[in-house]
Amino acid sequence: MKPSHVECAAAAVRPSGRANLLALRGLSKRYGGVHALRGANLTIARPGLAHGLLGENGSGKSTLLGVLSGQHQPDEGQLELAGRALAFHSPSDALRHGIAMVAQELAVAPDLTVTENILMGRRLARSGFLIDWSSSRRKASRVLERLNLDYDPDWLVRDLRPDQRQMVEIARAISTNARLVILDEPTSSLDAGEVKALFAVIESLKAQDVTVLFVSHRLNEIFAICDSLTILRDGKTIVEGPVQEFDADSIVRAMVGGEADQRVARGPRPSTGSTPALELHHLHSTGCLTDVSLSVRPGEIVGLCGLVGSGRSELLECVFGVRDVTGGAISVGGSPAHGGGPHGAIRSGIAFVPPDRKEQGLVLSGSVRTNIMSVATAGRNRLRHPSKKEEDPVIAGLCTAMRVRLHDYDAPVENLSGGNQQKVVLAKWLARKPNVLLLDEPTRGVDVRAKVEIHRLVRRVATEGMAVLVSSSEAPELLDLCDRIIVLSLGRIVDVVEAADASEETLLRMASAPGLEAPTAGREERSQGI
Amino acid sequence: MNDALSGNGRPDRSHVGRIWHSGRHLLPVLALLILTFTVFAITNPVFLSRGNLQLLLTSNAQLWVVAMGMTFVMLAGAVDLSVGAIMAFLAIMFGMLLNAGVSGGVALAVTIAAGALLGGGVNGVLIGRLGLSFLLVTLASLTAFTGLVNLWSDTMAIPIQASVTDSIAFGNFLGVNISLWIMGVTFVLAQLLQNRTYYGRDVYAVGGNRQAARLAGINTERTIAFVFALSGTASALAAVIGIGRSGAASPTVDNNVPLEAIAAVLLGGTRINGGSGGVGGTALGVLFLATLGNGLSLSDISSYWQQIVTGVILVSAVLLNRLGAAR
Repeated sequence: MKPSHVECAAAAVRPSGRANLLALRGLSKRYGGVHALRGANLTIARPGLAHGLLGENGSGKSTLLGVLSGQHQPDEGQLELAGRALAFHSPSDALRHGIAMVAQELAVAPDLTVTENILMGRRLARSGFLIDWSSSRRKASRVLERLNLDYDPDWLVRDLRPDQRQMVEIARAISTNARLVILDEPTSSLDAGEVKALFAVIESLKAQDVTVLFVSHRLNEIFAICDSLTILRDGKTIVEGPVQEFDADSIVRAMVGGEADQRVARGPRPSTGSTPALELHHLHSTGCLTDVSLSVRPGEIVGLCGLVGSGRSELLECVFGVRDVTGGAISVGGSPAHGGGPHGAIRSGIAFVPPDRKEQGLVLSGSVRTNIMSVATAGRNRLRHPSKKEEDPVIAGLCTAMRVRLHDYDAPVENLSGGNQQKVVLAKWLARKPNVLLLDEPTRGVDVRAKVEIHRLVRRVATEGMAVLVSSSEAPELLDLCDRIIVLSLGRIVDVVEAADASEETLLRMASAPGLEAPTAGREERSQGI
Repeated sequence: MNDALSGNGRPDRSHVGRIWHSGRHLLPVLALLILTFTVFAITNPVFLSRGNLQLLLTSNAQLWVVAMGMTFVMLAGAVDLSVGAIMAFLAIMFGMLLNAGVSGGVALAVTIAAGALLGGGVNGVLIGRLGLSFLLVTLASLTAFTGLVNLWSDTMAIPIQASVTDSIAFGNFLGVNISLWIMGVTFVLAQLLQNRTYYGRDVYAVGGNRQAARLAGINTERTIAFVFALSGTASALAAVIGIGRSGAASPTVDNNVPLEAIAAVLLGGTRINGGSGGVGGTALGVLFLATLGNGLSLSDISSYWQQIVTGVILVSAVLLNRLGAAR
């Protein structure tokens, strides 16, 4: 099913009689057997716009950004900047033409100052052979002022929060006098308040006629900040145009090709009589948790909502035994948990999907097989021989349940897309059939379809009697997935609500405790639920 | 036109393709081995003689055994610099045991057990359990064991006349030199441990991502302690082979041993940060170094050339592997 308005979309954006600020046409790029781009377009009409780029993982977004920022050379297609056809052979080429990229993974040097980070790349002011620190500092301050940031240029980047580090990167990008700044998923590790700060910076860039190309999986952000957008699927531009022409449904349809029906029916409510699968009694952990008590029954999905620093991740780490508990008690299935770190937690039937799949969830160089089987076999005699005959059906069953199509269980997981990698992380925990499933940011950085499938799967294992405790920075995810939501702030439980009675706005209000700055509440949300 | 091209863009998933894929890291070293072997076979008539080929292998038995142990250490993401010092220490210990009247067989068993204990108990515990840097710890134990050996032996070699060591160096079993048997058995055991046990998987997992391995419930501390125990065991075996070949237990610490072993492991395609590679590649790496050394000395070329060539090829092989990985 292809939308019929693909061809006319680019023309629609262009105001008559003036060259577009940026036009990518017919981009095509192959890597070996992989056709990453096959005729992708992207048009930004004029300076000072925020343009959204959307697409599932593997749709060619990264390659397109790579071409635009000079990291990759396209096999075919043109790049026009203000009407001039250009070809970038390196990132410094692109920089010279005013295109700067802020990568998804933060590229700051933590032990250097804000000044040094902003002016990285031999751009510190010099007098003779030596660095002129005071004028370098002034140079950095001027850039920070443009962004309305009151950072001291002498701060070490190590001491900054993730969103502040992101700002430093943006400052670096615009300090090169960039006319187009590419932000590749800048919000994936930010909480709502930090996203708001980022958006303020984007707005001030727009006011200075700097164009922002913004990549995000979160539709509400696209609606909140973007003026126009481009949607990619399978390496092709499916549609592009002003943001007013879209709503959440049409975007999702364009991204997934109309196949995925994204709403999942809520499962039956868990029975109320059974003993809790997981209970925390007055749990304390120095510096992050104070007097936290909660219980999760088999079949129940309980959400943990809170800003970064609220203790929701730390709570899961305590339960899984990777963070020290300094007071209170944890009981699993009615009996007290006895330490022993992750190994002990796994033995008592707890599974933990960590927030960062690349750092914590997967051995990327390992195969799908060894990753999926690692937890289920962690308790076995180490000198035993792993049997493929025993493993293959287990892996095949999990892959079917997850809708992962794999040809080769022995291929390294680093070759898989982000969504499939996340499913492998889930699969390795489900392979051991746990009673308690702890999820921290279970769908961070995965595409819409994978997200829907992961949610569907979590719900299914819950109906089969697993107790699920899920922490997420995305309120819609919690509302969509959970039966009950626990709101944390500064390490304490501030409220517990039935998901059916809560809304994104009420959750955010509760999560920002008195004294903290209110997060994005009040911004008009056109999206929901994905 | 693009669509026509993309039709057969699917990756090769046939059985042959899979073996090809999994063995890809062996290609550079295999090519090098075949190339050097062929060149020496053509240019030097002595090279292919039975005597020379046997010498080529047996003179590298120590390197072979040490490199097998080193492979596990490197798969787990570490490096063991202390093998030379531990070898000298164990050699002196073996000599002292024999001088004290202990029988050859018992001395051999005690030495090998001591190797495992020293490697696992000192390096392994400090690195695995206490989380110290492997460079720091193995450098420190290299230094400390060197001092211990010199104090203990008074820097004098101990001449050794024992049937155990003689038969290791010169004996035959079924017409094949005992050193070759040791090499073969070591390789088969290492191969089994690597591919056919959960422990082997742990080593790859710990080298690939230690944090993820720990969160998956794998005992990463024990896994790391064990790789150093394996390396210590290999050092013990190598020490005894060395005594057999020279007829004496020497207190001289040869720090080229760990470096050559590391080179062989890297040539064999094991990633320097761990997590991929294996003993198959290491075997080819050792064979390549052995062929190069033997061929050059047959051709009367200074052994210093071997070192230069090894250095250049080491970097090229790693670069080749990286090109291969990037497709």
